[in-house]
Amino acid sequence: MTLAHPRLELRGICKTFGPNRVLSGVDLVVGPGEIRGLAGQNGSGKSTLIKILTGVYTPDSGARILVDGAELNTPVRWPAARAAGISVVHQDLGLLDHLTVAENICVGGFPTTILGRIDRRERDRISLSTLARLGVDLDPGTYVSELSAAERAEVAIARALRDHAPGHGLMILDESTRALRGSDLDRIHAMLRRLVEGGSSVIMISHSLRELASLSDHITVLRDGRVVADLDATAGIAEHEIARAMLGDAVASFDRVAQQKAEERPRVVVEGLVGRHAHDVSFTIDPGEILGITGAPGSGFEEIPALVAGGVRPKAGTLHVEDKPVDLSRFNVPQAMRSGIMLVPERRDRDGLALEMTVQDNITLPRLKRLRRPLFLSTGWRTAEGRRAIAEHDIRPTNPHALVRQLSGGNQQKVLLAKWMSMQPRLLVLHEPTQAVDVGARRDILEKIVGIAAEGTSVLVVSSEADDLIAVCDRVLIYQPEGSLAVGDTSDVNTLLEQVFMTPRPQMTGQ
Amino acid sequence: MSTQQAAPTSTDMPAPAPGPVSRRPSWLSTGHLLSKYALIGVWALLALGFAVKMPDTFATTSTFQAIFGSQSALLILALAALATLVAGEFDLSFASTMGLAATILPVLATLHGVATWLSCLIALGGALLCGAINAFFVVVLDVPSLVVTLGSASFFLGLSELIGGSTSVAISDPKLTNLVVHRFFGLPLSFYYGVALALVFAYVLTWMPLGRHIAFVGANRDVARLAGINVAAIRAGSYMVAALIAGLAGIVIDASIGGFDPVGGSVYLLPSIAAVFLGTAVVHPGQFNPIGTLIGIYFLSTGVMGLQLLGYNGWVQNAFYGGGLVVAVSIAAIVRRRVGVG
Repeated sequence: MTLAHPRLELRGICKTFGPNRVLSGVDLVVGPGEIRGLAGQNGSGKSTLIKILTGVYTPDSGARILVDGAELNTPVRWPAARAAGISVVHQDLGLLDHLTVAENICVGGFPTTILGRIDRRERDRISLSTLARLGVDLDPGTYVSELSAAERAEVAIARALRDHAPGHGLMILDESTRALRGSDLDRIHAMLRRLVEGGSSVIMISHSLRELASLSDHITVLRDGRVVADLDATAGIAEHEIARAMLGDAVASFDRVAQQKAEERPRVVVEGLVGRHAHDVSFTIDPGEILGITGAPGSGFEEIPALVAGGVRPKAGTLHVEDKPVDLSRFNVPQAMRSGIMLVPERRDRDGLALEMTVQDNITLPRLKRLRRPLFLSTGWRTAEGRRAIAEHDIRPTNPHALVRQLSGGNQQKVLLAKWMSMQPRLLVLHEPTQAVDVGARRDILEKIVGIAAEGTSVLVVSSEADDLIAVCDRVLIYQPEGSLAVGDTSDVNTLLEQVFMTPRPQMTGQ
Repeated sequence: MSTQQAAPTSTDMPAPAPGPVSRRPSWLSTGHLLSKYALIGVWALLALGFAVKMPDTFATTSTFQAIFGSQSALLILALAALATLVAGEFDLSFASTMGLAATILPVLATLHGVATWLSCLIALGGALLCGAINAFFVVVLDVPSLVVTLGSASFFLGLSELIGGSTSVAISDPKLTNLVVHRFFGLPLSFYYGVALALVFAYVLTWMPLGRHIAFVGANRDVARLAGINVAAIRAGSYMVAALIAGLAGIVIDASIGGFDPVGGSVYLLPSIAAVFLGTAVVHPGQFNPIGTLIGIYFLSTGVMGLQLLGYNGWVQNAFYGGGLVVAVSIAAIVRRRVGVG
């Protein structure tokens, strides 16, 4: 019965930004009464897909969008999509703290009196009845600032539900549950389940694979702008299976000959690192060694790179990189750089590169202070350095004056690597180095990482890409939320992934 | 699988925090009331201090009248600034728009003999056009508002000079003047216009769907759009309304002081912005609000008046307004952080 008219049908969605193809022919079908999980790494195209559906981006020609069998014109006009029954729960829930529950629910559709004033009684009635559909008991006159995290999520979901006829509509939850933990999360999940039992549909975007696995009926996995898997999760699914689908093709292992060449350089020791979620992290890296750290999404391992490299100040921790130990809680980026610790951050567009500046500007930026003549920047020197890095790292296009924004993701990452390698780091910290990078560039980047280590640099790779870790790392440690690091089995990917997702995560579980 | 269980964790760590429990203090707590009306208290203390120090000059009816009667145009202008700020926009050109309207009116009425009412309409129309120009560049072409309105401020100022020549033009229409400066309970009518306009603002922002939609647009355009609000219309509208109100302020100025110096608009920019930001510290802490703006204007006016009576002249006005702006914005930022808006 559901086959006649899916709630939502996306066909052949493509999107190109300059040289970057971020979506190539994505199809997505969501049935009535279905919760569809959408999984993928950052840069896999999830958010672009949603932005096309909500009318922020214009898809390349050939895209078709159907809601309940009726064609929705592209580019999508959001009012039309809304009228067809699509609604979005915003990432940060989109609530105004200084307004009441009723005002937050009714925004965009206030009932009015003849005088044009908000009809407060009708507004409260709409809010109450919408909340009742969700089985939620909240006073519509309460200020949102007084609500608990779960209640806030309920208000945001009520707003998205407001205009849906019972049993109709498609609600998109764009990472909306990320502030929730434990029983709060269970409560919202149960509510969503009840909602779809009536025939409504939900698209759920989440970084938490546990959440996707437990809540979704089906999970669509995106990678590099393509649908790489459509998993049936009605009968439950293991998290590591989703993780496996999110990874790309395995990269062959690299020959590692570097270990012996490492001379008298001291090893890097990190002890008792405490961040916001990460507790008591300790590890050592030998010169020329590549250490991988991985963990389940949201467990806190993502914090480690910035904590080690001075980007975020940890609560405690000691670092030995030269002779004397350094107190990490008083560490900052200039000190880290002086100690030879360089960070290639996860969000290269935001934290790593100046997108509106040229390749050569980005590559030479950290070295400008070391120049002998700080008053006269030699353009010739910068261009020469730019050309050298372009040749050495195989960056395309080969123009040092090209704006970084015009480069593909993989080439942007190479620029970032070139920038920090020119500083001859003692410890290079790489955070998700192959994220949103195409297959060819991925291999190049991994090769570079091996090459850096061969010169005696200690390398820390913090990544969720099990394949990459196995391919390049000498050792892989699995972060566990209580703080300890378990030794990962690097013999094959599936074993490692199972290990990652078997580790207990107390703050994510039910009670 | 987890072979290396961290044995000492349970003793070391006093139980990992079970996520932040976000119970904020009630809106009616003492601390909240204090932060809500602290500025009014400071205002009262300021006035009291001046009154004690100068019982013969400050604590008089004429000083009271000067504080509340002389700032009407500034209050209306501050509401123009508020119109853009509540929608999350930023306009630096409203003072020049006011100057342009205040120049058009006497030039048409006095030099060209156009009927006063028609001159007023044309002045308002000119102001509205200024707002439309800002809206076109900022909303349609998506150019940063700081650049656009800084440029248009200078452009409108140039237009005023072109229209008015280099000297100020006087206007003397007793009907217009009477409509603005006629005294009612000791204060000119323009004072009541300003207060009435602030109340209209408060009504629209609090009780009408438009006001609530503006609040969402100002807080997060993306959320507002997804809630079905026509964000572009509200943003463009905020520039147009700001310009129209600035034009109104121009007419009030003409009528109050009998003319306008075409280049005189810029001195009104800072005090009105200062008042709007100062107003975010009262009534709805962390929020731009018209009643707060009203209080902000008369707070600043009281301060300047008192300092002038103490014998500080000329420079004190600029220093007080400038300092007031920075202090006000800092307070607003701190309050915003504490109340947790966003």
